[in-house]
Amino acid sequence: MSPVIKLTGVTKLYDMGEAPVRALNGIDLEIARGEYVGVMGPSGSGKTTLMDVLGCLSRPTTGTYEFGGQRVDQLDEAGLAQLRGERIGFVFQAFNLLPRLSAVENVELPLLYRRVPRAGRRRRALELLDRVGLSARARHRPAELSGGERQRVAIARALVNQPAVVLADEPTGALDTATGDAIMDLIESLNHEGHTVVVVTHDPRIGDRVTRQVRLRDGVVESDVTRTAKR
Amino acid sequence: MFGAIIRQAFATMWLHRRWAALTMFGIVWGTASVVLLVGWGVGVHRMVDRGLQKIGKNLVYVLPGRVGEDLSPADERRTVTFKLEDVAAVRMSTRRAEVVSSELLQWAYVRGAASGRNVDVRGVEPTMQALRGATLADGRFISPEDVRFRRRVAVIGQTARERLLGPRPAIGARVSVNGESFVIVGLLERVGTQLSRNRTETDEQIWIPITTAMTITGREHVDALLTRPTERRLNDDLKREVRAILARRLHVSPTDEEAVFIISLVDILSGFDSVFAGLKVFLIALAVGTLLIGGIGVMNMMLVSVSERRREIGLRLAVGARRGHVVGQFLIETLVITSVGGFTGLALGLGACIGLGRLPSDVLPVPVIVPSVVVMAVAVTTLVGVLSGSGPAWRAARVDPAESLRAD
Repeated sequence: MSPVIKLTGVTKLYDMGEAPVRALNGIDLEIARGEYVGVMGPSGSGKTTLMDVLGCLSRPTTGTYEFGGQRVDQLDEAGLAQLRGERIGFVFQAFNLLPRLSAVENVELPLLYRRVPRAGRRRRALELLDRVGLSARARHRPAELSGGERQRVAIARALVNQPAVVLADEPTGALDTATGDAIMDLIESLNHEGHTVVVVTHDPRIGDRVTRQVRLRDGVVESDVTRTAKR
Repeated sequence: MFGAIIRQAFATMWLHRRWAALTMFGIVWGTASVVLLVGWGVGVHRMVDRGLQKIGKNLVYVLPGRVGEDLSPADERRTVTFKLEDVAAVRMSTRRAEVVSSELLQWAYVRGAASGRNVDVRGVEPTMQALRGATLADGRFISPEDVRFRRRVAVIGQTARERLLGPRPAIGARVSVNGESFVIVGLLERVGTQLSRNRTETDEQIWIPITTAMTITGREHVDALLTRPTERRLNDDLKREVRAILARRLHVSPTDEEAVFIISLVDILSGFDSVFAGLKVFLIALAVGTLLIGGIGVMNMMLVSVSERRREIGLRLAVGARRGHVVGQFLIETLVITSVGGFTGLALGLGACIGLGRLPSDVLPVPVIVPSVVVMAVAVTTLVGVLSGSGPAWRAARVDPAESLRAD
């Protein structure tokens, strides 16, 4: 099976005044459809930068990135936006919900930029809120929701476009342990349903749950271990 | 999507409501003042125009003078006079003049049933009614027969009637002019305060046939020739034409402006036109300045809003928004905010125009709604919105999604 994500010799330099910082220093990585990958590593290891590159939020300085067989490093701005909107679902540590929109409107947001008609948007968003167990809270604003509920809304938003890959950046970082576990259960269930999931984290508890652990250190892959699922 | 952007615009305004109120005040003030002040300027212009035209629409006064110095030595500067035949000649041969009348001015002691006093008694021709735009409240005007038979008939102005006759009916009343008995055959409608006049206002005058006036005063010449162009733009042509006809008959140079002296209402009005055009430009410049200052305030507010919403921008980019979407969003938000100010100002300005427009326009200059200025105000407000939105929108488009999504 062809990989959904394929990085070859990816580097990323940040121009910090005099000395450029080499955040990624030649990454080769393939992720197959349906995998459940944890990108681990201490802070400064480059995992955040890798996440940005994977999510097409920034471009690699050198190297190639293929997403679903398509060369991402050669896409223009509009192409990247389309890829982000249609093929990738983001889950962030800080949830990043728009405070003035209700839960259901937040979930609808990615559909807005795909010109999905209003009725279709609403129906699809409500379906996904139902999927994450928040049907009853659809009209609430983020401020009226608990941290766990907010992250569920964010997950529903990530799924609304049926993305090829769900990228989660420290999804439990802002949550207490019990809530974080529940969120990880939800993310894991997405993987069981067939979603490709990449979780970036430094939390070893998450590292224990994933089926494939990619460890970064100083911008290179230090180890890449695939295990058989525990369950 | 559009609805959401507009709601966000109002949310931004609400979030910065004091600031928004202050900056929008500039836009409201700018729009309202330009609509009201230019409207007022046009109202004043109209009042001046109407007041000036009360002496007679586009009236041209042609007066005899002395032959100019450049043609003859000062000691033999010949006095020019107009005879009735000269006026008739102008009437016969002019193409530009709509109507022509001679006029003879005479202060005469007039006694009526109520009192006697000196009155501005004028000899006129039947055409004077049209020239002066005079309408009759009662009776008839001086007829060609009155002129031909030198009848002792008179048409009287409202003020003159009140002074001489009191409350008595005017038509059929007798007055004596320098001892000669006249029958009043017509009463003029009240003209009111005039901004232009020759000696007295129309309401104070008594008009008698020109021939009768010449007889009772023993004069062989008339004091003036009155006319008006068929169209306002033919004013200069008419002046040239009248000058040429009279010059031939009076043996003066057609360029001698002292021999045939012309005062034209159109010339005076065009003087006012340029004054008011200048005033209008000044007022518009002032209002545009106010709008621009208001626009700077809005721009600052939107710049702050962009910084505050970097995370939102980043997220929108992450979920598929193109930079164009973000630019559009901030442009539209800014436009909505300036439009709220602009339309509030427009409503206030138009409201003031309509409200003040109810006042009597004879006494006070009342503002009028000038469609071109309303259109211009809307256009400038929109332009200010685009200008003040483009900076923030540009900044929003430069937000780095990766970085903004992690900012705390």
